[in-house]
Amino acid sequence: MNTNGSVLRTRNLTRRFGEVAALENFTVDVPRGEWISIMGPSGSGKTTLLNLLACLDPPTEGEYTLDGVDTATVTERERSIIRREKIGLIFQQFHLVPYLTALENVMLAQYYHSMIDENDCKEALERVGLGHRLNHLPSQLSGGEQQRVCIARALINEPAIILADEPTGNLDEENERVVLRLFEKLHSEGRTIVLVTHNPALGEAAERMVLLQHGRIADIVSKAAVA
Amino acid sequence: MAAARVTRARMFLRLITKALTVRKSRVAIALFSIMIGAAIISALLCVYFDISIKMSRELRTYGANFFVGPSADSEERTIDFSAFEAAVKTVPPEALIGASPYLYGIVRLDLGNAVMAGVDFSGIRRLSPYWQVDGRWIVADFDDRNCMLGKSLAKNMELKVGDKINLVNRDRNFETKLTVKGIIETGQAEDQQILVNRALAQQILGQDGKINHAMMSILTEGLDIDALASSIERRLPFIDAKPIRKVSHSEGKILGKITGLMALVAIVILSLTTLCVMTTLMAMIVERTPEIGLVKALGADNGNVVLQFLSEIGVITVSGVVLGIVVGYGLAQVLGQAVFSSSISFRLIVVPMTLAISLAAALVAGAIPVRMAVKINPSSVLRGEE
Repeated sequence: MNTNGSVLRTRNLTRRFGEVAALENFTVDVPRGEWISIMGPSGSGKTTLLNLLACLDPPTEGEYTLDGVDTATVTERERSIIRREKIGLIFQQFHLVPYLTALENVMLAQYYHSMIDENDCKEALERVGLGHRLNHLPSQLSGGEQQRVCIARALINEPAIILADEPTGNLDEENERVVLRLFEKLHSEGRTIVLVTHNPALGEAAERMVLLQHGRIADIVSKAAVA
Repeated sequence: MAAARVTRARMFLRLITKALTVRKSRVAIALFSIMIGAAIISALLCVYFDISIKMSRELRTYGANFFVGPSADSEERTIDFSAFEAAVKTVPPEALIGASPYLYGIVRLDLGNAVMAGVDFSGIRRLSPYWQVDGRWIVADFDDRNCMLGKSLAKNMELKVGDKINLVNRDRNFETKLTVKGIIETGQAEDQQILVNRALAQQILGQDGKINHAMMSILTEGLDIDALASSIERRLPFIDAKPIRKVSHSEGKILGKITGLMALVAIVILSLTTLCVMTTLMAMIVERTPEIGLVKALGADNGNVVLQFLSEIGVITVSGVVLGIVVGYGLAQVLGQAVFSSSISFRLIVVPMTLAISLAAALVAGAIPVRMAVKINPSSVLRGEE
């Protein structure tokens, strides 16, 4: 566990593709239970940052500590372990396995993590309002329902941090509101959330907004400071 | 913990089952390919294990392959008939196809002299089943009223089946009248000879209890023919026993060539099967790239991915092999009837051998697709770049 209260800590995190720096010198501390949003225009480095924070890609330079684990120098296999142990991922495209039911999609995350408890998975789906859709395939669910399955899957292993990439990007307004309420609920339960979004309504719901431009932090806006 | 492990195992099985059943057409193609490969392999293995015996029996219909006669350093040109009997007893009964003694002499027929061979007709019929007979074989070894004539001799003497001939020995102290029961066409020296029963020949030639040599037809499969010859010579020191090299060698060469041909067919079929399975699996991996990227993002490591795909390949292979062995056994029967006019026996060893060969082929076929799966980068997939 971390010693300074930050679940997520980066120092000069940089990712280059050849000569081009997609993200440069990204430094931030996210205390446990905080909800921050990463905002910025297309090409500002949001997705690159999310892939680094999700341990899907290694940084070119810099430090990244997640829940006390220095992730910058770990092997590919260790990154897999960090992903399954400490991170809950929510995607814009939902990314559910099409031939597994809603319940099985949630169980899949447990399967790669540790033991499977079907009741836990059912409860997770009930918490996101899908108790009646357990055995439906993704193709039988609406976009909002698929995103809620994705959220239930992200939560099932009690991760140290939830990383969400444009979670409302493919949803209509009604489902957007449902997802926003879910994030507020998760935050109120003390979850640490890093959310990448274009959506101002969702972004401004966070405690802090990190604004990216050309791969660098342009501004950090704290809701408390604004208030 | 035990219950949790069971659940994990059940989840694993569920993942395998669903992954396979959702892609029925691709799985069916891979399954069918493996089934065809396994069928050919198991059929050829069944035939291979039977072929040596069946071919050996088949080849044994083309004449004798073992000679017993007086030893080279002996001045005698004959051996005792009892020595022939002792030599025959040395051969394992199940390996002995046929045996006949030969006693030769010159006799006078109505129109001139001829070579007479005294043989055991029951033995010589098994030694040379390919002889063409006009009329009938002499069936009783004690038949001293009938004879068989070589085709050329019959033509020269203007004799036909049913004719009666007078036979006189060279010393003119023995005369008998014989009926031509059959005229044989052998393509060999026998075409010029008159064949009578050995006992009668001994009587005519005054060589009681003697023969010149004997020929045997012995199944060489699983038998050390040289050791057999040595064994006979040890027991009967005045006897020369030896395999007829030309025949034995030819048998070996034919068997070797057939086995080689079968191996070549198996390799070609196996290669085609492997290529077909490989392309099908590669198509499956491409189709499942988003799924693989997702499970990697969820924390699956390369070991999990490899285990998943190898298990799927294993299920397809084992199912294909089970079907293939059934089909292969039927195919072996068709081959057996077509080539040997007999059924091919099923041997249990064919099952593990077919399974091992098919699994090895499937592993080779799966190597590149599984490598493709391992190399999938989850961040690229989730961005929609792969």
